[in-house]
Amino acid sequence: MRRALSDLRPVYVIGIGLHKYQPASETTYVELGLTAIRAALRDAAIDFAAIESVYTGTALLGMAPARVMLRHLGASGIPIAQIENASASGSTAVRQACLEVASGVCDVALAVGVDKPGRIQLAQDSAGVPDLVTGHVPPFTHFALLAHDYMHRHGVRDADIAAVAVKNFRNAAHNPYAQRPKARTLEEVLAGPQISGALTRLQCCPVGEGAAAVIVASEEALCRFNINLARTVRVLSSVSRSERVYGAGQDPDTELTRETLAMACAQAGIAPTELDVVEFHDAFSIEELLYVEALGLCGEGEAAKLLAQGYFDIGGKHAVSASGGLLGMGHPIGPTGVGQICEVTRQLRGEAGPRQQPNATLGLTHMVGIGSVCVAHILTRNA
Amino acid sequence: MTSLFLEGTTPPRLRGQKCSVCNRVAFPPNPYGCEMCGAPVSALTEQPLTGEGHLKAFATTFLAPRKDMEAPFTVASIALKDGPVIRALMTTPTSETLNVGDAVQSVLVTKSEKPELRFTRMEKA
Repeated sequence: MRRALSDLRPVYVIGIGLHKYQPASETTYVELGLTAIRAALRDAAIDFAAIESVYTGTALLGMAPARVMLRHLGASGIPIAQIENASASGSTAVRQACLEVASGVCDVALAVGVDKPGRIQLAQDSAGVPDLVTGHVPPFTHFALLAHDYMHRHGVRDADIAAVAVKNFRNAAHNPYAQRPKARTLEEVLAGPQISGALTRLQCCPVGEGAAAVIVASEEALCRFNINLARTVRVLSSVSRSERVYGAGQDPDTELTRETLAMACAQAGIAPTELDVVEFHDAFSIEELLYVEALGLCGEGEAAKLLAQGYFDIGGKHAVSASGGLLGMGHPIGPTGVGQICEVTRQLRGEAGPRQQPNATLGLTHMVGIGSVCVAHILTRNA
Repeated sequence: MTSLFLEGTTPPRLRGQKCSVCNRVAFPPNPYGCEMCGAPVSALTEQPLTGEGHLKAFATTFLAPRKDMEAPFTVASIALKDGPVIRALMTTPTSETLNVGDAVQSVLVTKSEKPELRFTRMEKA
């Protein structure tokens, strides 16, 4: 029988931690990861000995990176596994940790995302199914094509799409973990250099290094470790999907997002319009407009107009990418999806400082991974 | 590796594939099975697709994704008259002369030893 997360034991986020996202440096991935994990353990006020299972989301470090890092926390013999799911690696690590706790296999699980920039080798290139554009459609060209199609269908201009980046940089300027922590004007975003189609450099996310960690636990563990319930956040749903065959010319990322987020909302028992904070996979500015509509926060073709009216600002109807998103906070691959859970948890606790969405009660995280896969979580305030 | 197009017609046709179980027509062809229904490759038959269609969207890329590539180049999303929407390189590196809805057709371009399939805008009659 198929069951949703909500049919199983309740799962709570009890600790979050980050290492700043930043350009590649000499800092080892071990140092990055340990910084985030130790911050999460301090946040939860528990020791590593309490952790019963670890999933490490990473795409670029090579084989078997987890124990090399985790042993410095005290090698306790617990089960560990690496999760590679492209840009959704971290989100998938969170999902696996949630499922272990929900199923009763363990009471406290850690999801950590860590990566450093490295050579990206896509398996698709060796699949034996060549196409007419092999190598000529990197992600920025793929999304530039979607941007052009969207602009044509909805009469939207370059500047309307670039406004996504302006908002997200404004948010990132208040995020101490952001790789691009600087507010930018529309003119600066549009100034170029031009990368592909309407997309300028500042409308493409930076891929750097960093780490993020999330500790999830059962109700039994909340009691056993005397966790401060007011700072816990409940995971209402966790959904993971992969691309199907859609109609000719339909954008698979948008359609996959549409069905994944609809399932996430249904399983959480909420309407999308109830969401206070939303962290999308805004690797490219156009994505936020596509996904805002796919989620159902507004109708088709309305996102740019509502964005201009401040609807998606912190303090607006729905705060979208309050962290700065992938454009502003950065996209170090493995950490990104875990970092989204950190941001939403912070918002729901009311601890986001200058980035705080007032009275945030419900939040959603969303990542798309090349291929494509899509992973979403919905969280709610517990107190 | 078999070619993605059939030579000998103008414009050159594309080597599409049709599934005899679910009737899906797909491009590019694959040697494994149907993405729609999972039928094995033995159920897939070659289905030539016309090299004519119209532009749905296009984008000129200025940053070469690899060192062995030249930028700028223009990739288009093209709705073929036979149904599938495909992505292909245009003959022109930039897109000043292109508009959404323009009629386009396939054309062979020889850059190295092997001919490559590109699309070009059809001059209005």
